[in-house]
Amino acid sequence: MRRWITSRRAGLLAGVVAVVAVIVALLMTGLGRDPSVFASPLVGRTAPNFTLPQLDGPPVTLAKLRGQIVVINFWASWCTECQVEQAALDQTWQQFQDSGVVVIGVDFQDTVDAARGYVRTDAVTYPVVEDASSKTALAYGLRGVPETFVVNRSGRIVKHVIGPVDPVALASEINSMLGTRAQ
Amino acid sequence: MNAAGTLRRARAGLPGLLVLIALTAGLATLIIVAVRGHPPPSQAQQVQQIASGLHCPICKDLSVADSPAPLAQQIRQEIAQKVRAGESATQIRAGFVAAYGDSVLMSPPRQGVAGAVYYVPLVVLAVGLITAFALLRRWLRAPQPDPPQAGSPQLSAAQRRAVAKAVARLREEEPG
Repeated sequence: MRRWITSRRAGLLAGVVAVVAVIVALLMTGLGRDPSVFASPLVGRTAPNFTLPQLDGPPVTLAKLRGQIVVINFWASWCTECQVEQAALDQTWQQFQDSGVVVIGVDFQDTVDAARGYVRTDAVTYPVVEDASSKTALAYGLRGVPETFVVNRSGRIVKHVIGPVDPVALASEINSMLGTRAQ
Repeated sequence: MNAAGTLRRARAGLPGLLVLIALTAGLATLIIVAVRGHPPPSQAQQVQQIASGLHCPICKDLSVADSPAPLAQQIRQEIAQKVRAGESATQIRAGFVAAYGDSVLMSPPRQGVAGAVYYVPLVVLAVGLITAFALLRRWLRAPQPDPPQAGSPQLSAAQRRAVAKAVARLREEEPG
């Protein structure tokens, strides 16, 4: 009888320890995560289509670029981090535009004049479109700028970058999608 | 019976008739309100209701309805457009969840893993109540020790040994 009680108590203790361990593990997982970084639910899904007016050129429709790799970068002229990544995006555009890669800058919560001034001063060479109503930004679940989405040839989002892009990582991603060796 | 008498009787019955009409009208109003429910909310109310259930994506702990941020304003405009286009609140919320994930909702969804927020406390409460009930029942059923009788105080083992020794000594000393 006493042995039964002892084993029962041991089982109860083991159960309590297990529950506490699970709770601690869950808390540890939550504490290790940066609450300001949200994984986009759009990764792996078809990129929301848009047709937006280009600053200097005809409107751009994402659906018409199907079959090409598209790098969509949300930016603004008032955003200092966007200036940091500007060179990397230009470099990507220069390096890969002949391989069927398109870089599109989507101007977010900005004025057309400020955007034009930025494009001219910072020598942005890739197409820049204006998202005046922020409809496209909302469709992409934008939380701020810069944010970048990489869309594969089938039109699916394969990568989402919050903050300035790393040019090496971006080139490596594009190279692997192109099926060539990273240079 | 003359006309004056008839008129007098009719006048005497008039207050009662008015009360009856008022009661009937009140009852009819209650029935209509109960059957029809509340009047449908206006589009502005719908926008406010939906916006207050969504987190402002660039703010901390502010709903889209409460945030003065330009992005929140644009979300409110987007909601208003969708409401005007005839989309339901569920469809509009689903659209924002598709783009931002469940974190855009002010209250976690009741389905999936997040639903545990609602159900786990109830389960813990139920387990706690069952355990407390079982312990209480066991405690009430446990045999109670006999209360010490008057004049026979409880002795410790050492005291009992001392008493036994004293009794043995007395017996040895007894003559014969």
